[in-house]
Amino acid sequence: MEKRSNNIKTFISFDKVSKSFGATNALIDCSVDFEAGKIHALVGENGAGKSTLGKLILGVHKHDSGAIKIDGNEVTFSSPKESVNQGLVGISQELSLLPDRTVVDNIAIGRETTFGPFVSSKKTLEKVLSVMKKYDLYIDPNRIVGTLSVADQQKVEILRALNTNARLIVFDEPTARLASHQAEQLHNLVRSLAESGTTIIYISHFLEEVLKISDTISLLRNGLKVRTEPTSKETKKSLIEGMTGKDAGSLFPKKPKIDPNSDTLLKVKNLTRKNEFHDISFEIKKGEILGIAGLVGSGRSELAHAIYGNSLPDSGSVEFCGKEFIVKDTAKSIDSGMAMVPESRREQGLILERSLLENTSLPYLKKFSSWIYGLNKPQEYDEVDDSCMTTMVKHSGLEKEVQFLSGGNQQKVLFARAAMGKPKLLIADEPTRGVDIGAKQIIYELISQLSKVGEAVLLISSEVEEIIGVAHRALVMSRGQIVVELKGSQITKNAIMEAAFKQE
Amino acid sequence: MKNVLEFSKKHGIAIITILLFILLTLTTDSFFTERNLRNLLDQQSTILIAASFMTIVIISGNFDISVSSIFVVSPLFALLVENATGNIFLALLAGISIGLAMGAFNAIVVTYFKVNSFIATLATSFMFFGLGYLISDRSLMRPMGDAYQQIARTKFFDITSATWLALVMVIIASIILTRTRFGRNVFATGGNQEAARLAGVNVSRVQAVTFILLGGASALAGIVSSSRAISAQPSDDFSFVFSVLTAVIVGGTSIAGGKGAVWRTVAAAFFLAFMSNGFNLNQIDPLWQRIILGLVIVIAVAIDSWSQRKNV
Repeated sequence: MEKRSNNIKTFISFDKVSKSFGATNALIDCSVDFEAGKIHALVGENGAGKSTLGKLILGVHKHDSGAIKIDGNEVTFSSPKESVNQGLVGISQELSLLPDRTVVDNIAIGRETTFGPFVSSKKTLEKVLSVMKKYDLYIDPNRIVGTLSVADQQKVEILRALNTNARLIVFDEPTARLASHQAEQLHNLVRSLAESGTTIIYISHFLEEVLKISDTISLLRNGLKVRTEPTSKETKKSLIEGMTGKDAGSLFPKKPKIDPNSDTLLKVKNLTRKNEFHDISFEIKKGEILGIAGLVGSGRSELAHAIYGNSLPDSGSVEFCGKEFIVKDTAKSIDSGMAMVPESRREQGLILERSLLENTSLPYLKKFSSWIYGLNKPQEYDEVDDSCMTTMVKHSGLEKEVQFLSGGNQQKVLFARAAMGKPKLLIADEPTRGVDIGAKQIIYELISQLSKVGEAVLLISSEVEEIIGVAHRALVMSRGQIVVELKGSQITKNAIMEAAFKQE
Repeated sequence: MKNVLEFSKKHGIAIITILLFILLTLTTDSFFTERNLRNLLDQQSTILIAASFMTIVIISGNFDISVSSIFVVSPLFALLVENATGNIFLALLAGISIGLAMGAFNAIVVTYFKVNSFIATLATSFMFFGLGYLISDRSLMRPMGDAYQQIARTKFFDITSATWLALVMVIIASIILTRTRFGRNVFATGGNQEAARLAGVNVSRVQAVTFILLGGASALAGIVSSSRAISAQPSDDFSFVFSVLTAVIVGGTSIAGGKGAVWRTVAAAFFLAFMSNGFNLNQIDPLWQRIILGLVIVIAVAIDSWSQRKNV
């Protein structure tokens, strides 16, 4: 391992680089230097331009104007292959491996040592082993990649990059799919790569991680670079403020007050569905936001679906608006005043190829429908328009297909749909998954507004901050049961995590 | 320019059909004659009746192969009743009812037993074909009175009642799909079943109704066809459903479900009819007709999938 000299050298630099996709400016006049052998982190909201910047380096996209220089020489990449030849490689969230082939096949792909038209397996293996030895990163070369853990698969990708003599590696959200101790290992590996002279560009949503691992941080917002600072000068708070352009504290609106005398809206008693959840009892009052926390697979969503009528509970009872409510199907629940924003907007929420109009009004078409005249389209249009306005859906026409909206706006369409029914109970399952901070803020505002008008919200979330910031009361589920109920100031990160990981 | 492209992408099949119409008018003497066009309309009526409702089934995400068998069996049952009672209205009622019943049987197999609709309706086809032999005692059936042949042959304003029936059925299917709650639910069900269910759509009921409607429409098509031929006979002939499916698919209704329109099917039915009419008028060898027809279907579907890819 050769050590680099101490005088720091710029490896790759951006000079007023811009890139736009159609009308969207993904990156505007961005100037930034990436120093050799350093870990340079990029932070920003979804759509801030950080992935675009990475993809320009990797030759996935071509920049519109400005200059990209490597070691002072201007370069233009028109394909990923040209970047790879310059030693620029990317490791992304989704791995691009051949799961049915061995480790050595995957690492050496496209770079096998050949003898005429034949691959020399022995020499290829020797080369791969030498790379493993050089970076002290060993994985059994004969294992089938599909049988490895996600963390080891990622190592295979990194080894593939190193096998091409990578001089720069772009990591795009590498820890999104890793458990915490695996993420720790990856951090160590990234650090040792940097020490051996590889330049690292590290894109991540996790600010703690970025602060821990990087040497330099560049902050992007709406395609503009806000600043580049040594990591020692940044804090989590300063980063959040820089990313949103607002105070960190204002992400969550003030929680609305609950009238202590208000009626119970939903009362669930001993609800059980085999292999999903067991003996669940709780109540929600009018005007209350009840959070359900817990790990994925703890039975949270299943419980919500059984109340909403998408599946039927095996035993137990539900009382809704003071009357016994026999769960039958989703149509009955909707007619009785429930609405749901499901967990996966693309799979469970939207009909992607249909219009905004049709998606929003779908559960409530009865209102506009009569036997003789069919649908009253003008009235439907007006009400959908109203609803999209209150939920701040940004769109270029209600006739447009929802697949062309951004993730945040698609999510808001689901809220527009719920708002159309003026529901008594809103069940929101992971309502902010995969949306940027701006859309998040609006969604939190909507959730608290719904409850302001005397309704109640059942908020299911994996994001602990969300439960803390929005809910009046929180239930924590683990293995299909409610482990603990937390109220007001009891709702803390520690209390939730402790309960969620509790073993029976 | 971009708008022109957008427009032609969206209405491609209609534009091509009109162009073919103009081409045939200019290049042949006998195409644009009242007699030829009236014949064309009359010939297409049975396919249009079934295809407009097949469009609804396919948009909801299913397939129905049993259209052929319903097309064969229903007129046999209608004639059985006609022979027994001599009442033409009872005969019609019986024929349509057995079509609806067979549609309902398909619906139960697909929505209750959750059998893939292609397999389910292939299997029920054999059952229905068998039923046809049973009803007819394996022989050709003829109507007793003259009234039966008038079902398809009565003329209003010089146009046959078969054509009028087709027009009415096309309009009904189109209204169902675009102007009713049920139509919206059909699109939602075909587009994303899980999302539709969570939005309160009774997915099974929607799919069941589409099968029953198609059963009724296929029965009507069969009765019209037998009225035109003044006879009906049992068979195992699957060819009708393929003509119907060809019209729906060439029209651009997605076999994945969730996308399509009745007008597309109508345009494609005429496109195919004009083409074979043009072949005959230009005296092209039937051998080549098949090859060209197959090629056109491949091209139509390829263009469709290509334009969808460009879309996203």
